[in-house]
Amino acid sequence: MPESAEHITCQEVVELVTGYLEAALPADEMALFEQHLNFCEGCVWYVDQMRTTIATVGRISEEDVPVETRERLLMAFRGWKQS
Amino acid sequence: MSRAGIDNRTAAVSSKEADLLARLRDGDEKAFESLVDRFHGTMLAVARTYVKTRPVAEDVVQDAWLGVLNGLDGFEGRSSLKTWILRILVNTAMTRGVREARSVPFSSFAADEEEGPAVDPERFRGRGDAFSGHWNGYPNDWSSLPEETLLGRETLAVVKRAIDELPAMQQRVITLRDIEGSSAEEACGALDLSSGNQRVLLHRARSHVRAALERHLDA
Repeated sequence: MPESAEHITCQEVVELVTGYLEAALPADEMALFEQHLNFCEGCVWYVDQMRTTIATVGRISEEDVPVETRERLLMAFRGWKQS
Repeated sequence: MSRAGIDNRTAAVSSKEADLLARLRDGDEKAFESLVDRFHGTMLAVARTYVKTRPVAEDVVQDAWLGVLNGLDGFEGRSSLKTWILRILVNTAMTRGVREARSVPFSSFAADEEEGPAVDPERFRGRGDAFSGHWNGYPNDWSSLPEETLLGRETLAVVKRAIDELPAMQQRVITLRDIEGSSAEEACGALDLSSGNQRVLLHRARSHVRAALERHLDA
């Protein structure tokens, strides 16, 4: 981003949002991003949509370990212990 | 081995992990079961992005666990236990994936390199406009949606399908970061990615899932 940039556009916000949420943007971009959110409701909602997306993905649960698999792995562990 | 030697060996793992490691090395079955409960699902999800079928993925995870057992005594704690286990899983899966290479569609590798905008450019005002690059119409405020809609089974199915559509590397990153809850550092360690690369993949993956959710929720 050029140093002279005094603002960023919404189209730039949607590409920087992950860096923003990861707190990985350089300080100057972080400042421009936050400044943009101060006056752009649409981008506030966009960032909120991203947070909702992350939370929804987080609700996918991993499968429980099937009983047979657990037994098989425990057998392996016992074998390992004895070796 | 001296006490100091043990401490040294596990320098990068937390004291809680060091304790778990000690129990595992002592052959504590409960400790091993808790490890299996904690990581098996994630390992299976990640393995599935390397090989074609579920039974093969299950094999890979089983082999990875054997690899973990074989390496347990030599584990030096240079990374966290989780990163180390995931790294073994990925290596096992890659070896297996290479053997199966012909069955993996080429597109699933090529597509990782593809550059695409997070949001359709049509949604923004064009070049000639004084407000070029700004929204044509704002995205919707999802906080006003009824909770049942967001938490519903249908919404979850949309999200799962969107993740299934992703190129393999993006799938791995979003699985580790947002389903499993790994840190960026852990995902980089497990998948051998630079932090910048990890972030780009996460960004594309999340943006794709958001767009799918938007089509579903705003329909």
